[in-house]
Amino acid sequence: MQSIATVYFLTLRSLREAVRNPAQEAGNVLIPLFFFAVTVGSIGSIAADAFGIDNFTGFQVPVAILAAASSISASAGLGTITDIQRGYFDKLLLTPAPRSAIVFGRIAADGVRTVAITAFIVGVGLIFGTGFDTGVPGLLVLLVGSFGFGMAYSGFNAAIALRTGSPQAAAAGGLLLFPLIFLSTAFAPKDVFADWLEVLATINPITYVLEAQRSLIIEGWNGFDILWGATATLGFSVASFTLTFLALRWRTS
Amino acid sequence: MSAIWAQGLTKHFDEVRAVDGIDLDIAPGTIFGFLGQNGSGKTTTIRMLTTLLRPTAGSARVDGLDIRDDARAVRRSIGVALQEAGLDDVQTGRELLTLQARLFGMGGARRRGRVDELLAIVDLEDAADRAIGTYSGGMKRRLDLAAALVHRPDILFLDEPTTGLDPISREAIWRYVTRLSAEDGITVFLTTQYLEEADRLAHDLAIIDEGRIISRGSPAEMKARIGTDVVTVQVPAADALDRAAEVVGDVAGVERVQIADGAAVVYVPDGARAVAGIVLALDDAGIEVGDVAISRPSLDDVFLEATGHHLQVEEPQPAEGGAA
Repeated sequence: MQSIATVYFLTLRSLREAVRNPAQEAGNVLIPLFFFAVTVGSIGSIAADAFGIDNFTGFQVPVAILAAASSISASAGLGTITDIQRGYFDKLLLTPAPRSAIVFGRIAADGVRTVAITAFIVGVGLIFGTGFDTGVPGLLVLLVGSFGFGMAYSGFNAAIALRTGSPQAAAAGGLLLFPLIFLSTAFAPKDVFADWLEVLATINPITYVLEAQRSLIIEGWNGFDILWGATATLGFSVASFTLTFLALRWRTS
Repeated sequence: MSAIWAQGLTKHFDEVRAVDGIDLDIAPGTIFGFLGQNGSGKTTTIRMLTTLLRPTAGSARVDGLDIRDDARAVRRSIGVALQEAGLDDVQTGRELLTLQARLFGMGGARRRGRVDELLAIVDLEDAADRAIGTYSGGMKRRLDLAAALVHRPDILFLDEPTTGLDPISREAIWRYVTRLSAEDGITVFLTTQYLEEADRLAHDLAIIDEGRIISRGSPAEMKARIGTDVVTVQVPAADALDRAAEVVGDVAGVERVQIADGAAVVYVPDGARAVAGIVLALDDAGIEVGDVAISRPSLDDVFLEATGHHLQVEEPQPAEGGAA
């Protein structure tokens, strides 16, 4: 019970911090939307002929969502480091609150921020005619998935922040997702890939997260894709939270 | 029961022995001063006693609770203000205290009442709803002290609470600390590198140097242990210092002589009577004498006698808005 209360109070604190720093939140939205616009603008018109994708704008919405999650988690890593450098992290550790809950407050806030930005990006997509094939129930599933993925990815950056205490390392941590995005089906389906890239995309969990989100937006209900997306997100979560716990134990030993 | 007890408390960082087997036994309700210069092991000791660092060896109990086995219970009993005021610039003072109270399980009207009470105690009512980033250094220290007190701890750890503060802010912190001990019976563990602070606040004092406690007692006891007047004779020629110490050591009534910072520090039962003989002896030996001062023993003399060197105070660069 104390853990839940601690996560709740520290999540509110991190969200308040985000609201009071609108420039950073604007960056988290605008940069992914910029790449979204450029990608759709440059190859959207040939996507139908080249890849057999009619709704390429909808196809790109999940890429913008994952890029935004990456940007959010990088800023959260920096926030953790700021707390460490200012001594506020010690102040929190000196309360009787469970230490893992102290770290998870910020991670949960990242999940909430990712949900908010996902809703915004979906809204932008709808304005540009992406549609949303699974309707409101599908949107709720997408938001739940975004919450999970946002938290999972934030966990990696929290681990980097706790282990290194370095702003540079935390900033670099936010970039870790980009190679994985490029090695997935971010810009085209697997069947047009070279063999080596197809293998990498197949073993890349980001591919399954993207496919699950796409199925909700442009294909309709596909239980298989959703299950694989949930499994990939769960795998990400287990890996990132394990690293976070280890980094926290290292910092407090 | 001791408020704070430690035996053989040790912390190594690789090959460095930051704290090297210290023993503590601090009575409840007292202000305990832990005096030493930067790097002597004060902060490492406080971080172990407050459960932020695990000791390499030894054991300690705070408020009767083992710092390893009952760490969370220890944290419920203590309040801590570390050397750097650990605050969040984005929150307001009231929000920070409210969050702190919530993390200690305080709810509703009790929490709101306590936050208002603390803001009044540390004179921050007018600034309570401003972002902490706009506070001066002195205001931040006072808020940090309030945050440490939010749950009414039995024991308060203050790590160099006035370092870098101007005299007015320093005086304000001293006033709060004295009141906490006298009126609320809180045990205060205070690290400091300021002799005046230790002399003025501490009921009981330990001097730490290179990770070891080298002297212990009340400030008055420590000074009485020296038991003599101190005559400080400046010797302008550095190469004549050893010879000067030798000459002065032979003067009748001189108990001992130390060399520190270009001066011969002479311990004698009656400084006023001895000073003429000391100066004459040096003159006869052809050693030029600079300023001569007679004083009652101070904590600086206690520190010098215990460590062989004066306490070197390192002030941080003044922070923006360092005033109260």
